[in-house]
Amino acid sequence: MSILVQTNDLTKTIGGKELVCDVNLHLKKGEIYGFLGPNGAGKTTVMKMITNLWKPTKGTIELFGETLEKDSYEVLKRMRSIIEFPVFYEHMSGRENLQLHCEYLGYYEKGCVENALEMLSLSDAADKPVKKYSLGMKQRLGIAREVLSRPELLILDEPTNGLDPSGMKQIRDLFKMLCKEYGITMMISTHILSEIEGIADTVGVINRGRLKEEISMKEIRERNLSYIELSVKNTKKAAYILTEGLGLDNFRIMDERNIRIYEAGAAVGEITKALAVQGAEIDFIGKKTETLEDYFLKITREEDEKCLN
Amino acid sequence: MFKLIRLEWKKNRIGKDIRNALILLFCLGFFVYAVEFFGITDEDPEANSIGISAFIELLANMSYIVFCGAMLASYIVKAYKNKTMNLMFSYPVKRQKILLSQMLAVWIFNFAALVLTKLAIYGVILIGSRHKGYTYSIDFHMGDSGFYISLFAGSAVMVSICFAALLAGLMIRSSKAVIIASVLLMFVTQGSIGSLTLSDNGGFFAILLLVSAVCVALCLGTVEKKDVL
Repeated sequence: MSILVQTNDLTKTIGGKELVCDVNLHLKKGEIYGFLGPNGAGKTTVMKMITNLWKPTKGTIELFGETLEKDSYEVLKRMRSIIEFPVFYEHMSGRENLQLHCEYLGYYEKGCVENALEMLSLSDAADKPVKKYSLGMKQRLGIAREVLSRPELLILDEPTNGLDPSGMKQIRDLFKMLCKEYGITMMISTHILSEIEGIADTVGVINRGRLKEEISMKEIRERNLSYIELSVKNTKKAAYILTEGLGLDNFRIMDERNIRIYEAGAAVGEITKALAVQGAEIDFIGKKTETLEDYFLKITREEDEKCLN
Repeated sequence: MFKLIRLEWKKNRIGKDIRNALILLFCLGFFVYAVEFFGITDEDPEANSIGISAFIELLANMSYIVFCGAMLASYIVKAYKNKTMNLMFSYPVKRQKILLSQMLAVWIFNFAALVLTKLAIYGVILIGSRHKGYTYSIDFHMGDSGFYISLFAGSAVMVSICFAALLAGLMIRSSKAVIIASVLLMFVTQGSIGSLTLSDNGGFFAILLLVSAVCVALCLGTVEKKDVL
């Protein structure tokens, strides 16, 4: 798969504060790229720079094989985006907003507005002024607007904000369909990891302005990283037994009660026995498989711990 | 460019601006008519050396400096504030062209409205003067080409100098700043202290025009490089 978007040492500094630093991300053609990070990690900043709304302080962005310059307008024909939240001319109806959008884009395919409204279940509300729309409806209208011209690249910042669970499912299915049937490449940032887990091909994890990792979901699944979740009354005592009694060192104390043991050869029975013999009270012990959320938390927590130290 | 201007008018509800301009025309027309024919001032028609044209120009210019400021605030500053400018800058159109189209949409409308307002008031006063006695002397000749040249040039200058207020509004992202700056411009250009006034000082207007041109150039010149906040 060819690379559609690539950033090289992308850095943005505002007022002496480094918002993102040396970000090198790679978006392949036809994939859904999940851009993950806690609040304030720099996701929106990177997206703003890719969409040319913000200019990088350092580094370059390559879009469709061309380096993005401050006056690159041709590439904007091939991409659409919703950054932060969709904005509309609130006094105009949903349909009028979409028609206006077509006029600015110079996109006049017959029935495209109606199709987009129908796709996002907004046909009934199409003639109402946008100011009367709910947050979820605005979010759907924003997506309808951006997909109606079938762009090659779609950049969406937290697109499921304000949607109810059925709305989220609808949008998730729509993204999969757009990617599969129309070949639209998507970059989606979200903090709801379960949302992206089912649809993303690749995820990029950003924390404190730095891209920590870029990994395909296939790779995450293949790693199938399993661990033993151990819940005890006294984590210090349990940790001592695990280290001294069982010779395990690949584990992490998650909080005051929970320990995760990543050691490949560790067996639940053996650990239970050792803890019981030494008098460590166990509330729960069982095998678990690492989800995208666990993976994400592991990466961001490592970074946070490093910073605290 | 005309398409962009047309879209600006469409999305900013030009109908509402036309309605407001008509209300303004009616109010100004009625006031000038009342002053000229109903004798609501204490002026003595015989002793009065001032013509009605100065009064028409003063009122129309004052009104349209503020009207133009309000439109600049609504079309441009508000677009930055409510982030619709971000949407505009996501289209494959040069930012300078977008901003220029917004400026032209305001300029063309205000110029046309100011010219038509003045013409309508002059017309009403001319017709009225044939049937009624008047307070101020009728010092204009609507059949004279010089009248139209002066009217068009004066209106173009007045609308253009309003753009000096735009930079203030854009710098602090405030619609109020544009309107306040417009009101200040109105006082500076049309006001008088005793017999001292700058309204007939060509040099002063030339400087204001230059300031406006610099403000417009600064707005347009920086838009390509600036982050859209």
